[in-house]
Amino acid sequence: MTRAAVLVATAVVALAAAAAAAAAAPVPRTPISHFVTLMQEHHSFDNYFGTYPGADGLPPRVCMPLDVARPRGRCVRPFHLGGHAVKSLSSDQRTFLAQLGRGRMNGFLDVYRRQGIDGTIAMGHYDARDLPFYWNVAGEYVLFDRFFAAAPVGTLQNHMYWMTGTPGSRAPDVIPRRGFGRLPTIFDRLDARGISWKVYVQNYDPSVSLRTVARRARPGGRGSRLLRLPLLAFPRYVDDPRLSRHVVGLPEFYDDAARGTLPAVSYIIPAGAGEHPPGSIRSGQSFVRSLVNSLVRSPVWTSSAFLWTYDGWGGWYDHVRPPRGYGFRVPALLVSPYARRGHVDSTTLDSTSILRFIELNWGLDPLAPRDAAARTFMSAFDFGHGPRPARFLAADRATATGPEPRRSVIYALYSSAVVLALSVLAWPLAIRRRRTVLAAGEAERS
Amino acid sequence: MLDLSGAIERVRGIGEEPPATRLFARVGVVRAHLAARAAIALVAAGFALALFLRLWQIDTIGYNSDEAVYAGQAAALANDAGLKPFFPVFRAHPLLFQTILSVPFHFGVSDLVGRLLAALFGLGTIVLAYKLGALLYGRRAGVIAALILGLMPYDVLVSRQVLLDGPMTFFATLTLYLLALFATTRRPAWLYAAGGMMGLTVLGKETSILVVGATYAFFALAPEVHARLRDLACAAVIMVLTIAPYPLALKLAGNGRTGEQYLAWQLFRRPNHEWTFYPATVPLAIGPLVVVAAAIGIWFVRRELTWRETLLLSWIAVPALFFQLWPVKGYQYLLPTAPAFAVLAARTLAWRVEGRPRLAWAASAAAAVVALSLAFATWQRVERPAAGQLLAGAGGVAGGRELGHWIAGNVPEGAVFLTVGPSMANLVQFYGRRKAYGVSVGTNPLRRNPAYDPIPNPDRAIRASELQYLVWDVYSAARSPFFANKLLRYARRYHGRVVHTESITVTKSDGRRAQRPLAVVYEVRP
Repeated sequence: MTRAAVLVATAVVALAAAAAAAAAAPVPRTPISHFVTLMQEHHSFDNYFGTYPGADGLPPRVCMPLDVARPRGRCVRPFHLGGHAVKSLSSDQRTFLAQLGRGRMNGFLDVYRRQGIDGTIAMGHYDARDLPFYWNVAGEYVLFDRFFAAAPVGTLQNHMYWMTGTPGSRAPDVIPRRGFGRLPTIFDRLDARGISWKVYVQNYDPSVSLRTVARRARPGGRGSRLLRLPLLAFPRYVDDPRLSRHVVGLPEFYDDAARGTLPAVSYIIPAGAGEHPPGSIRSGQSFVRSLVNSLVRSPVWTSSAFLWTYDGWGGWYDHVRPPRGYGFRVPALLVSPYARRGHVDSTTLDSTSILRFIELNWGLDPLAPRDAAARTFMSAFDFGHGPRPARFLAADRATATGPEPRRSVIYALYSSAVVLALSVLAWPLAIRRRRTVLAAGEAERS
Repeated sequence: MLDLSGAIERVRGIGEEPPATRLFARVGVVRAHLAARAAIALVAAGFALALFLRLWQIDTIGYNSDEAVYAGQAAALANDAGLKPFFPVFRAHPLLFQTILSVPFHFGVSDLVGRLLAALFGLGTIVLAYKLGALLYGRRAGVIAALILGLMPYDVLVSRQVLLDGPMTFFATLTLYLLALFATTRRPAWLYAAGGMMGLTVLGKETSILVVGATYAFFALAPEVHARLRDLACAAVIMVLTIAPYPLALKLAGNGRTGEQYLAWQLFRRPNHEWTFYPATVPLAIGPLVVVAAAIGIWFVRRELTWRETLLLSWIAVPALFFQLWPVKGYQYLLPTAPAFAVLAARTLAWRVEGRPRLAWAASAAAAVVALSLAFATWQRVERPAAGQLLAGAGGVAGGRELGHWIAGNVPEGAVFLTVGPSMANLVQFYGRRKAYGVSVGTNPLRRNPAYDPIPNPDRAIRASELQYLVWDVYSAARSPFFANKLLRYARRYHGRVVHTESITVTKSDGRRAQRPLAVVYEVRP
């Protein structure tokens, strides 16, 4: 009896707490009450959108020297990658600095030459033929052409900036021995205000965490999951079920979207579809398309926004010198019923701008100086009008129909056929009528 | 419609007769007058009934697949932005009817307008059946022929739909009438006019080129109707000139290869029905009593057939034989034979023997029985269309329009659907304004209608998020259980979630009413 009473009391308290939290959850300041964000990997802006009309893309006469010491020597112009096989170019601190060339942006090939490898592929770029869906998104919604990687290098650092507004650790892609301790994350802020959130992880394996894998992740190994999902390197997000239950498998995203139960803030962590070279950009597009489509047909579409970006430039050429402390530009796109149509937004942004947007939208305190100072992408929205109707974007850019038929020719030809047939018919009718009239006249005379 | 001039002439002349004769004459005139009035009333009633049957609940059920295609073509011709992406102007057939239909579609696409236009052609065919019957066998036969055709399930059902066969039958019957006029008067001008109408018939639907064969058979089997070679050549030239817009439009206005591809496919495609299809279907649609009446009449004059019977029999036999042998069969393909059947049956039912009024009464009673049987059969089909059973060309698809409207209102633009077959895909495209593929449409160009787009790999398309919805429907499932199961496998494999079920209310055998699902829409994802 006593035990039952305690259980009931506990349940009542828990329900009351939940209700209180829900009641206290702040109302978003914009019509966006469901924000989804995703971070793909290793492509520069020019690599994906260098030839996109209206964006700050590849300079027309650029030719990258193979040897910066011989600026008049052999150089490589940007070229269409198409179906070329690509490899994972190094994108470490040394590469970044060499490519930056103290702001001259001329070391993109020289650095690879020095390493004794052929890096000409770094000047390759994709276009609408290879990225039809992304280009369709850019044409229908918003493409950012001043979105910089928050950290010059490091998968982990960029993911940490995305979630905490800080790089997390000094050494790139190295997780501190005891994890990230009590470093606040955006999820702490959300949780504290009773705002719903989830981290959806593709191919989620709950057994992978700080406790079970090595600190220095081997590329492609189980530990590399921690670089993309540093929450698993936070002891409290591993040990506290109240927090860890927010980290779920990706199928739940599709279910939540279909049911209209998406949380206010959703982070998505890809596994095999992250577009990291030499991974397939097509499978990455399909993955992003499945997420966008789920949102488009979700009951929450009219109050949603989905922004995805990339964790770094991946060694690919980009012609814009980044602000001090930031990495090269990366692609970033926004899908929302309130997004401006076909807009190229040139606000200087980085992944901490995503934090800033969440903080401003739900009235949260900043996590760190970087996100406090970051600009947001509010200019990409047009809240002056109602939400746009949901619309799936095509996976290709080929026109669905052939050339328009010449309708006037069809009308002229078929009309002439009818006129011809009726004219031939009118002739014997006229003769018959004339004969009838003549016969009647004759009968009258007789 | 009836000519009373004879009776009036007799009334004018009676003043010169002796009193007794005058009295008899007056009685005769009055009877003739009353008979004429009764005939007019009968014709008017029959026509009104024919009109009623063609218009009753004409728009209650949405289009079927073929109707959607033709209306879609007309809408594309009218430059309708919503349908143009899904229905190219050039598909398989000539465009005469679609071109006519496109004119009102410039003011907005409407199911009702399409069906009313088709019904108008059907009513025109009834008038032509009267004229043909009256020309060949007298006004009485004309009236009965019009009544039979007006009430015939075959003609009523087909001419209530936006199909090419109704207009084609109208032009074919006009051709037949003009040939009969030529045979009656021997004036070549009628032959030329028949050539022109034959051309329009072919522009209605290319399969009606068979009327050329029927005409040839008529001239070959009725040597008493002599046509000069020069006149026949002239008529042929006029026909060719009238048909010319079909290939010319393909060449000059767009897609020159469409027609060739379609012809190649039709030549080599597999049979779509058993050889018993027409013997089992068409006599019932025409009316068994009509067929019997026509056969009895022919049997009695089998040894002394005139050019009239030869003409009508040629009009029936050539298309019937051709389509019996042709692997591709369609319910409505033999509709142009219906007016000939009606006239032949009317000839029997209008039978009169001088001095034997009882025979005339018996024939009239038989005509009434035939008309009632036709009206009853037609009413059954018109008033309670069978839901869940679909014979192409036999009527609309219950639930198809409602399903499409749900899709248009609830599914995001740009969505791509996979249906069991191309028929439902056409309805999804017409009413739902969303791209749809049929899983049964093969990728082998020799084995599929070139008008349909295949989806080479639905698995890949779903995985690539290029395809987001599946539609299972009871009609296609009944026709292609294999592909229906294949579609359901995709639903199971790709997290299919039912987002809509289109149902109709049916009355079960025990009298209870129940909801019967007609179509189910699944949402799928990788």
